[in-house]
Amino acid sequence: MPFGTLKGFGVTLKHIFRQPITQQYPEYKRPVYPRFRGRHRLNRHENGLEKCVGCSLCAAACPSDCIRVVAAENTAEHRVSAGERYARIYEINLSRCIFCGYCELACPFDAITLGNEFELSEYSRDDLIYTKDMLLAEPIKRVPVQDSDLYDTPIPAYKSSS
Amino acid sequence: MSDLVKLTIDDREVEVAKGTGLVETAAAAGIEIPVFCYEPRLGPAVGACRMCLVEVEGMPKLQAGCTLTAQDGMVVHTASTSARAAEGQKGTLEFILVNHPLDCPVCDKGGECPLQDLTFRYGPGSTRMTFPKLTFDKPIPVSPLIALDRERCILCYRCTRFSSDVAEDEQLIARNRGAYSMIATFGDEPYRAPFSGNVIELCPVGALTSTQYRFEARPWEIQDVPTVCGLCPAGCNIRATTREGLVKRVQSRNHPEVDGGWLCDKGRFTFPHLRSDDRVREPLVRGTVGLEPVSWDAALDRAEELLRGAQGKIVTALSGSETTEIAYGLGVLLRRGLGAHSAVLDESTSAALDACRAPLSTIGAAELVVVVGDDEVVDRAPIVDLWLRKARRAGAEIVTIGARGSVPAPVGGAAEALRDLAAADSELGGRLRASDRAILVWSGSGGGGGARLAEAAHALGFEGKPGCAVFHLPARANARGVAEAWAAAADADEADPEPIGLLVVSGDEAAGDPSVRALAERASTVIAITMFHSLAVGWADLVLPATASLEREGTAMNLEGRVQRLRRAVTPPVPDELAWLSKLAERFGVALSPHAAVVFEELSGRIYGGLLLEQLGEHAGLPARRPYEAPEPTPLAHSPEANVPEDHFVGTLRLLRYTPLFSGHQVERVPELQFQRPEREVALSTVDADRRGIATGDLVSLRSNGTSVELRARVDARLVEGVARLADEHAAHLHADVEVVKA
Amino acid sequence: MSSAPEIVFAGTDGGALTELAAYEAVGGLTALRRAREMTPAQIVAELEASQLRGRGGAFFPTGRKWSFLPKPEQNPRPHYLVVNADESEPGTFKDREIMLRVPFRFLEGCLVAARAIESTRVFVYIRGEYLREFEVLVSALEQLRARNLLGDVTIVLHRGAGAYICGEETALLESLEGERGQPRTKPPFPAIAGLYASPTAVNNVESITTVTPIIEMGGAEYAKLGVEDSTGTRVFSLSGNVVRPGNYELPHGYPLRDLIYEVGGGIADGRTLKAVIPGGSSTPILTASEAEKVTLDFDSLSQAGTAIGSAAVIVLDDRCCMVQLGVRVSQFYEHESCGKCTPCRVGTRWLTQILKKIEAGHGTHADLDLLLDVGDHVNGTCLCPLGDSDAIAVASYVAKFREEFLQHIEDGGCPFHGTSSLDGIVAPTDVHEAHAGGAEIHRPLEVVG
Repeated sequence: MPFGTLKGFGVTLKHIFRQPITQQYPEYKRPVYPRFRGRHRLNRHENGLEKCVGCSLCAAACPSDCIRVVAAENTAEHRVSAGERYARIYEINLSRCIFCGYCELACPFDAITLGNEFELSEYSRDDLIYTKDMLLAEPIKRVPVQDSDLYDTPIPAYKSSS
Repeated sequence: MSDLVKLTIDDREVEVAKGTGLVETAAAAGIEIPVFCYEPRLGPAVGACRMCLVEVEGMPKLQAGCTLTAQDGMVVHTASTSARAAEGQKGTLEFILVNHPLDCPVCDKGGECPLQDLTFRYGPGSTRMTFPKLTFDKPIPVSPLIALDRERCILCYRCTRFSSDVAEDEQLIARNRGAYSMIATFGDEPYRAPFSGNVIELCPVGALTSTQYRFEARPWEIQDVPTVCGLCPAGCNIRATTREGLVKRVQSRNHPEVDGGWLCDKGRFTFPHLRSDDRVREPLVRGTVGLEPVSWDAALDRAEELLRGAQGKIVTALSGSETTEIAYGLGVLLRRGLGAHSAVLDESTSAALDACRAPLSTIGAAELVVVVGDDEVVDRAPIVDLWLRKARRAGAEIVTIGARGSVPAPVGGAAEALRDLAAADSELGGRLRASDRAILVWSGSGGGGGARLAEAAHALGFEGKPGCAVFHLPARANARGVAEAWAAAADADEADPEPIGLLVVSGDEAAGDPSVRALAERASTVIAITMFHSLAVGWADLVLPATASLEREGTAMNLEGRVQRLRRAVTPPVPDELAWLSKLAERFGVALSPHAAVVFEELSGRIYGGLLLEQLGEHAGLPARRPYEAPEPTPLAHSPEANVPEDHFVGTLRLLRYTPLFSGHQVERVPELQFQRPEREVALSTVDADRRGIATGDLVSLRSNGTSVELRARVDARLVEGVARLADEHAAHLHADVEVVKA
Repeated sequence: MSSAPEIVFAGTDGGALTELAAYEAVGGLTALRRAREMTPAQIVAELEASQLRGRGGAFFPTGRKWSFLPKPEQNPRPHYLVVNADESEPGTFKDREIMLRVPFRFLEGCLVAARAIESTRVFVYIRGEYLREFEVLVSALEQLRARNLLGDVTIVLHRGAGAYICGEETALLESLEGERGQPRTKPPFPAIAGLYASPTAVNNVESITTVTPIIEMGGAEYAKLGVEDSTGTRVFSLSGNVVRPGNYELPHGYPLRDLIYEVGGGIADGRTLKAVIPGGSSTPILTASEAEKVTLDFDSLSQAGTAIGSAAVIVLDDRCCMVQLGVRVSQFYEHESCGKCTPCRVGTRWLTQILKKIEAGHGTHADLDLLLDVGDHVNGTCLCPLGDSDAIAVASYVAKFREEFLQHIEDGGCPFHGTSSLDGIVAPTDVHEAHAGGAEIHRPLEVVG
């Protein structure tokens, strides 16, 4: 028997005694990296006002044209955001989103950030259009995240300068 | 061009006509001199913003490029070749930004802002200003239409210059001085003037913004549709900004011959009527409990039934606001299909005017302008008023003959006055005859749709002089196009059907016309094509929804005789007129395309000499003058002659009704425009007021034949004796003679 | 005191000639009579021979300015003479004394000048605060009118409304026309298209008043006074820390040192001289040692890097803080900026803010550089000289007293605190705070640091 064949068997044999590396999703959820780009979140100021002023720069930056913003004016009685205007409608069509994060880059107020959630499947396409309320709310499902200290994630230049 | 000068800009040789501004000269050489305050349409440059600093050889200091004109042998260095100029410009931009808030994401101008663009190109990356910026209350409502943000203002004075030097309303001013200078209106009164909206477009930053467009859209989310305003016969070129299928704003689309880049507030701010609550969105049929919505199939069945039932005894009331194609479509259906040739149109326009036609901009260059008629020009065709003001500023003499004229004339005496002008012994007529730059304008009703005007111009020898022109200001936007299209649809003469079996009312203007309503009394059945419920209720058997000019594809002819193209800015909520007209035409065995372009092609072969739609282009040209033909009596003989003189009762005044600019079904449906509508007041001459002991502000009662109206009096020194002048909408059912007493 | 001949104030003997009879007694009205026998061209020639140069500050030859006006046959529009009596430059108070003491000599000059430019309309734009001067002129005019001496000339006295910028000739014309007092772009110059777009000569009160003696004595005779390029006498407004401040008429070329120590009686309170502003607040400052050397004429002061300006000599003693001086001067220009052009409107305010920050001791070396850089961007880019004046003046303080500015920065405060001779002098911006717009402006508290 040629030596090569034996060597092959040897490799196979060695693996029989190893722990399998297959992870049993969804029973087991592998932690994502801290800078993993998942579903978007809209953020609020500490005083509860929305950071988003409805400027549509995210929509302008979006390469897949999946963001729709319709703005309206804050009034003394109905103040939603800190600026003069706020986003009356803020929708992201997640069926079209490519999670590039350009919206986050474009946002002058850090109002939109990409979270870590990636479990976004729905039975209907319509349900993939996330409205402002959904984006503002804390996500229901928790995604385990790797300890950020384990990974070298330098603060990007555009954020460190501001 | 004999007067050419040669100069050098940034080492490039340029040759331009003498007197050309340096900014334009540089542009001709492909060099940009950035500007904020410079706007040649506002008159001489002021050199306020200092953005245009250039170095001119032989001059010790940097010069404001915008204030210079091209001189022979001049050597100019802009910021791209002169370090000094670049430094000066950098400094200026830094100064402009010192107090300018960084709220571009919130600002409506963001994305289409000259300051943003120039900062991006020439500006500093960061600020050296460490002190707090000046802050003001904001936004200040300068009027219900315009919001002012004084923090963003860079004090270029474009808006105040427009107010004082172009529209001459003198309402916007600069208050305080130095760093605390601010734009304001006198006494913080609302900016109430027919052209106020232009300051929004002029503002190079987001200091003056439209309240209607406030936070509605951002520049990358919109489509601009080039079309033509359909609210008056001037036909100003406009750009309708649309987002998500809705018109969000209307801006001027500078046609230098028609509007010079200005637009009146009616044209600019009236578009929200498209989304009016009482808009007819489906066909309505009179049932047992009033008008009931029906399907289009049922509506067309009903229409066919009514049309057949009338057995040709049909009268059509046209509005004059239809596109030429819709009018032609109606003509094809009713005249060709049903042999119903009878139509009424409030005012038509005489084709004889073509012998002396010229662009409206000709007025701006005139030396003598005579305006005849009892209506104010601004009420009929506002943009013409701006051309008149431009002419006056350039030194032209403006003579007005009418009830409020510089030469007083009795009400309805315009035709008489024109005859006098054309007579050999008239002093003014003699000057008109002698001048190479004289203009005649007819601003009022009657006069055979400009026929009298054309006769006078012919008698004064205007045809041979290109600088001389006549303009008739019809009441309806496309009066002439509609009349011609209707006439072109068939050859037969009209006959007055009696009794009227069916009255077809086309459009809102006709539906709101009391004389059409009177006609409806005599008709057995009525089909009304209207946009609004309230106009249809109570008299129509079938209501078919109409569309607005912003929703229409087609053409319209303006008062100059210029055929201009309308583009559909937004899809109407109902099928357009041509769509169902072609379906109906099919039922009566006549062919009519549902596409405006095809209809135009057919129509053009008949009346425009085969003009192609493509030839109209972005900015339609004006056809050449045609040989003069003595005007015939107007084809639409029904046109009601306004204010037919009657016997005068002692002590009564002639009622002079006028239609104010800010009136009509569209304006009524725009809340922001209500402040522009006329006061409830009646104007009386000084003599008549004194005789009755009436002063301005007094409450007076106007009575005639058992009806009476109470309103405030205003003593109008310009008004002729024996006249009470008030807006149509306040005149109610008053008769031609009214008694005026203090209430 | 000097024994120099008095030209402008001749015959006053220290008093005022407000009665026509008294004025005639000292030889008044002879110039008018003589001028009416001369042709306009002859009057202009006489002025050119005198080499009289404008006393308002720009020092432009008056005769030449008049010769720029088109002849009536070249431009049929009416010609106007506008007299600039809107004297508002800090330190300058000569015109008011001229109007108070020799109103007839001034008005006679107006009539002669009107004849020279073939004008029958004279407008005197008088500073609004000058009420007494206005009344004196009204009385003098009435006396002239009663004697029918005005001929076909109408003299209009127009009172300003409190704006320094209206002393700039085109802003003055705008104001006179009833518009907002803001400068126009030049060209066209007023000589071609001035008041109501008509040919207009705009002259200072002192220039016009000097016209009278020039016609009386002859231009060549007048030119013998003073020095070359700066002929004749000048009314110097001496102010600041001197024993005897006031207006002194002296020939050009008079030593500045003598003006301070002889005429002015030296520095008050036994202090020493620190600096001199030789021609009104807009001219660059001279240090004490420079001031020792110069004479008061165009050439000498130009060589010293400054200008004779409006001949307002402001004397500063050793207690004066140069940063405070900068704040005061800059505040004045900030307050008086008309707001038309950007660099002046924004730059003057910014300069004041930086100076205040340095004065408060919060400044840094970068602030000093910024101050000079902002000044550079203001200087030479404005529509009119107002902004330039601020920048030039402040730059001169830094250039000549840099050590003092650095001391403020390094010590974190003003070394003159509590002792400065400028203490207690309230700046116009503070006085007029309420005028700036009342409730509509939210002035942020000037947080410095």
